[in-house]
Amino acid sequence: MTSDVKTEKIDKSLFEFAEYDSKNAELIGYSNYSYWRSTLQVFLKNKIAVILLFVVVLLLLFTVVQPYLPNQHSPIKINVDADGLQLRNLPPSSEYWFGTNSIGQDIWSRIWSGTRTSLFIGLTVGIIELIVGIFVGSIWGYVRKLDPIITEIYNVITNIPTTIILILIAYILEPGILTIIIAMSVTRWTSMARFVRNLVIIIRDREYNLASRCLGTPLHRIASKNLLPYLVSVIMLRLALAIPLAIGSEVFLTYIGIGLPVDIPSLGNLINEGRMFIMTPSLRYQLLFPTAVLSIITISFYVMGNAFGDASDPKNHI
Amino acid sequence: MKNNNEVLLEVNNLKVEFGGKKNKFVAVKGVSFNVYKGETFGLVGESGSGKTTIGRAIMRINEAAEGEIKFKGKKINGKISKELDREVTEKIQMIFQDPMASLNERAKVDYIVSEGIYNLKKFKDEADRKAKVEKALTDVGLLPEFASRFPHEFSGGQRQRIGIARVLIMEPELVVADEPISALDVSIRAQVLNILSHLQKERGLTYIFVAHDLSVVRFITDRIAVIHKGKIVELAESEKLFENPLHPYTRALISAVPQPDPIAERNKVIEIYDPSCHNYDVDKPEWVKIEEDHYILANKEEIIKYKEILESKV
Amino acid sequence: MASLYLQKKGGKMSKYVIKRFFRSIFTLIAVITVVFLLMRMMPEEGYFGETGTDKLDESQKEAILTNLGLRDPMHIQLLHFYSDLAKGDLGDSLIYRPNVSITKIIKQKAPYSIAIGLSSLGFALILGLSMGVVMAKEKNKLADKMGTFYVVIIRAVPPIVYYLFIQLYLTQIFKLPLLFDIDEPSSWILPTFAMALGNIAGYAMWMRRYMVDELNKDYLRLARAKGLSERKIMVSHVARNALVPMVQYLPASILFTIGGSIYIESLFSIPGMGGLLVDAIQLQDNNLVQALVLMFSVVGILGLFLGDVLMAMLDPRIKLHSSGGGR
Repeated sequence: MTSDVKTEKIDKSLFEFAEYDSKNAELIGYSNYSYWRSTLQVFLKNKIAVILLFVVVLLLLFTVVQPYLPNQHSPIKINVDADGLQLRNLPPSSEYWFGTNSIGQDIWSRIWSGTRTSLFIGLTVGIIELIVGIFVGSIWGYVRKLDPIITEIYNVITNIPTTIILILIAYILEPGILTIIIAMSVTRWTSMARFVRNLVIIIRDREYNLASRCLGTPLHRIASKNLLPYLVSVIMLRLALAIPLAIGSEVFLTYIGIGLPVDIPSLGNLINEGRMFIMTPSLRYQLLFPTAVLSIITISFYVMGNAFGDASDPKNHI
Repeated sequence: MKNNNEVLLEVNNLKVEFGGKKNKFVAVKGVSFNVYKGETFGLVGESGSGKTTIGRAIMRINEAAEGEIKFKGKKINGKISKELDREVTEKIQMIFQDPMASLNERAKVDYIVSEGIYNLKKFKDEADRKAKVEKALTDVGLLPEFASRFPHEFSGGQRQRIGIARVLIMEPELVVADEPISALDVSIRAQVLNILSHLQKERGLTYIFVAHDLSVVRFITDRIAVIHKGKIVELAESEKLFENPLHPYTRALISAVPQPDPIAERNKVIEIYDPSCHNYDVDKPEWVKIEEDHYILANKEEIIKYKEILESKV
Repeated sequence: MASLYLQKKGGKMSKYVIKRFFRSIFTLIAVITVVFLLMRMMPEEGYFGETGTDKLDESQKEAILTNLGLRDPMHIQLLHFYSDLAKGDLGDSLIYRPNVSITKIIKQKAPYSIAIGLSSLGFALILGLSMGVVMAKEKNKLADKMGTFYVVIIRAVPPIVYYLFIQLYLTQIFKLPLLFDIDEPSSWILPTFAMALGNIAGYAMWMRRYMVDELNKDYLRLARAKGLSERKIMVSHVARNALVPMVQYLPASILFTIGGSIYIESLFSIPGMGGLLVDAIQLQDNNLVQALVLMFSVVGILGLFLGDVLMAMLDPRIKLHSSGGGR
C-alpha cells in the first residue's frame, strides 16, 4: 500500500534519458574564478585592512584639501599678536587647533604640510624603486651574459648596511628633499630588482612564453603582456610599503641632523621640535600630535600594503 | 593521408647541445629524418631521450649546434631573412604539453588566440579579427563567448583546445604537437585526438607528434621514429613497426604497452632494454634500410640477425 | 646536524666560506674606496678645526690642506689611506677633539656600544624566540594576535617614536634614570630594552613563521601519530630547529642594532659610537664621520658574513652559490 503511494509521488521526469548537450557540457567545464575579484574578496575579508584603507584614502584626500579649507594658517608663517610679539607655544585653541610652536607657527597646518612632504618623498622613492628595479631586474633575468656581473654588484650593495649608505649620502649632499630621495633610492631598488629577476627567470622558460615566441611575439609585447601583469600586485605592495619607510628614514635623518632643513615642514622636523619639550609636560602635546599622526599614517600604509600583498597571492584564494 | 612523397620538412644530422663549455650536455646527437606533406610523423622515446628538444629545434626555440633543418627546401635554422622568418612563424606552429602552463593566465582567451595574427597582422580590421577568433574557437569545439574569459576558468581539456585554436588561426602547414595529451585527464584525451585528426583531414595539416606513449601513437601516426639517448634507433611505418619491432629498444617500448586483454597481458613478457647488448666497439652501427619503409640503427652482425627475424615472420 | 653536514660536504662548504669571505673583502674594499672618494667631494671647511673657516686666510687654509695631504693626486691619497688603515690608523679628529687620534677615541667609546649592543641582542634573542614559540602554539588565539599587533606596530612606526615614548614615560613609571650614567647600573635597563624592541619583533616573527611551517610538516604528523607527547615533539623535533630562524635573522638584527644604537646612544647620552656619529655629523668632522661610517660598515659586513656562513652550515638546502636576499 504505502509503496504505491510512494511511487506515485516520484517525479517521472527523473527517469527520462538525459540528452547530451555539448554546449552545456562546455559551459560546466569552466569555473567562474577571476584573479582580481578573488583578490578583492580576500582583501575585504580583512576588516582592519578595510578600515585602514578608508583612513588612508581620507588622509590622502585631506592632505590635498587641507590648505584650501577655511581658517587655515600657513605652515611657515610666524604668527604674531597685535603688538608684533611672536605667539609662542600657545596651547590648542579654536584659532590654532594644535597650538603653536616655539616660534609661533601653527602646528596643525605644519603637521599636514609635513605629511604632504613625507608622502611626496615616499611616492617618489617608490616610483623610482619600481622603474629602476623593474628595468634592472628584467635585464638581469633576461640577458644571461650580464647575470654574473649584476649579481656581483647586487651582492656588494646588499652587503653594506642600508643605514650607513643613507647617512653617507645625506651627509655628503646638500640637505633637502632631493637628497633624501636620492639617498633612499640608492639602496631601495635592489630587492625589487632581485624579485623581478627571479620572476623573469621563472617565467622566461615557462611554456606560455615559449608559445609567444613561437607565435612570433616581439619582446616588448612579451614584456607588457606576459610579464608586467604578474608584477602588478607586487608593485602595489612595494608602493604602499615605500611610504612608511620614507617617513621613517626622513625622521631618522632629520634627527641626526642631515635631513630636511628646518624651514621645510616635515614630520621629522616636527618631532625634532617637539623633542625639546620632553622635559616640559605641559608642552608635550607638541611632540604627541605629530607622532600620533605619523603613527596612524605609517601603520595604515603598512597594514594595508601587507593585507593587499596577502590578498594578491593566489595561494590565499580559496 | 598516405605520403605523397612531397617532403615538407627535412632534418639532416641535427645536433643540439645544452650548457656551457664545462658541463656540456648533448641532447640530440645527429638526427636525420624527412616529414612528408600530409602525414603524421611520430617521435617516440622515454623522457630525456631528446624528442621534445628535436621539436623545439624545429620551432627554433632551441638552437641547433650542428646540422640543418629545411622547410620546403629552405634552411630555417641559424640566421635567416626576415621574410623567411615570417613565413616559418606562420607555417610552423606548436602545441604544448602542459595546458596549465602554456596559456598566459593574465590574458583573455581573445588575446591568447589572436596573439599570432596580431604579430603578423593577419587580419583586415577588428571585426575580421573577432570573426577569426570565433571561427578558431568553434573549430575546436569551444563556444565563441569564451573569448572574453581568462584561461584559469577552464578545464585542462578546454585549455588544450584553446592552445590548438591559437595555432589554427595562423593557418599553419606543419604543427609540432609536443605530447599534447599526456598532461590531460584520460577521459578527454580522445576528444583532443579526434579534433587533431579531424583538422588534419579538413586542412591537410602535417603533424610531428611527440609522445612517450606508444599506444596512442599507433593510432594517430603514419610513421614513427624511435629515439633513444638523442639518436633515432628505428624508423618505420607505424603498422610495420608494431608488427616487426627489430631494435631491442623498440621491442622494450612496445612490450611495455598495456593490452586490454587480461590473458594476453598475463602471458606477456616485458622486455628490458640493456644498451650493453650491442657490441659496437669494433663493428660500428649504421643507419640502414632493412625493408621497404623501415630503417634501423644496427651494425653488420645485427643486420643479419634482424633480416633473419623478418624472413622468419614472412 | 650542522657538524654532520660539515663532514659530509666539507669540501663544498669550505669552498663556499672562502668564496663568501672574499666577497666580504671585496665589498669592504669597494666601501672604503667609495667612502673615501665621496668624502673628498665634501666642502673643505670641515678640515680647518675649531679655529674655524673665517679666521684663516687663503694661504693658511692651503697650507693646512697640503699638510693633510689633500692636495696630492687622488690615487696617492687613496694609497696613503689604505696604508694608514692597514696600520690601524684612522686619522685624527678635526673638530670633535682636534688632533686626537680617532683610533683612540673609538677605543674609548666602543666598549659601551658593544656592551649595550650585545646585551640587547641577547635579551632580544631570548624574549623574541620564546614569544615566537608562544605565538605559534597559540596560533590565531589572543596571545598570537597580541604578538602580531606588537610586531606590526614595531615594524610600521619609525623607531624614534617608541624610543621617545620609552624615554618619556617608562622612566617615570619605573623611576629609572632618564640619561645614561656609567656608575648607575639601572640606567642600562631602558636603553638595552629599547634597542631590543625591534629585534624582539623580528625574532618573534621568524620563529612563529618557522614553527607554524614546521608544525604542519608530515614528519611531525608522523611523530604525533606515533603517539609522542606534544612536549616531546616540541623538544626533540621543533625546538632543535629553532637555530634556523635565529641564524636567519641574525644579520638583520645586527644591522638593526647598529641603526638603533645611533638613535638610542644619542637619546640617552651614552658615550658610545652611535652617539659619537651623531655628534660628528652635527659638528661636520669629516675625518671622524668617515672613520665611523667605515667602522659601522665593517661591523655590518662581518655580521652578514657570519650570518650567511652559519646559515649554510645549518641548512644544507640553501643554495651555496647565491646569497640570501631581501634585506
